[in-house]
Amino acid sequence: MTARIVVCGVGALGSTAVQLLRNVDAELRLVDFDRVESKNLAAQWFVKQSVGKNKAEAVRLQLSNFYGAKAEAMGVRLAATNAAQLLAGCTLAVDCFDNADSRLALAAAARAAGIPLVHAALAGDGTFGLVRWDERFVPDREDVAGQATCEGGEHLPMIGLVGATLARAIQDFVRAGERRDYMISLSGVART
Amino acid sequence: MAILNITYQGQSADYELELDFAASDEDIRRIAVEVVRSGGVRGLHVAQLAPNAFDHFVIDRLRGTEGEQRIYLRPKVPFGAA
Repeated sequence: MTARIVVCGVGALGSTAVQLLRNVDAELRLVDFDRVESKNLAAQWFVKQSVGKNKAEAVRLQLSNFYGAKAEAMGVRLAATNAAQLLAGCTLAVDCFDNADSRLALAAAARAAGIPLVHAALAGDGTFGLVRWDERFVPDREDVAGQATCEGGEHLPMIGLVGATLARAIQDFVRAGERRDYMISLSGVART
Repeated sequence: MAILNITYQGQSADYELELDFAASDEDIRRIAVEVVRSGGVRGLHVAQLAPNAFDHFVIDRLRGTEGEQRIYLRPKVPFGAA
């Protein structure tokens, strides 16, 4: 059976991971309501021609245009009311959201549907990240609302490292059903 | 016995702890400050580390791959950087 992966949030981590999943033996569904802004080009896998487009659609187009890879784009905001529909038919869910409420809505829907879920998350200062399966993941909230994120681009190498680790974790799951957690710091990538 | 893993300013290292999962968050943060100040954690020596350096850090109590108790003291990770 072909795996069906839904990637929720295709900003920095999500878009980076997805472009590294272009040859994975799976069908990809991308969910993001947001639009590409010029400032996103510094830290997210978008090209200049994607500015103004919905992020899910932009990633879909880039995968198709650059690599001939197919994906399905859902340009909507995931919420409790539509999460089950967005996850329908999927065999793996991937959380790359940037806020705890969306992460919780996704986790609730994935658990209700019995769909394995892997999370990826990044510290605001770009020094640390996690890839963790839902069984051991609790979303962290910002210390203060509106706390600075990594969108300026200065943390792009760490975004790449966390996104690549996530892609590898997904690859291992699709290939062998393995669920491996990782911690990513400037010291390296460690299995946890 | 548990392994305390501390991640601070992008560096991450293990420290063998005399305590186990029952240790309180407050104790873990206090011990972490002491061992980082003293240089007891390889690669993580900050002599002037502030006593509240880990106040906003998260503590995870997880079993390692061999079943050992591992306690992670780490920065928050609120973002997928959308």
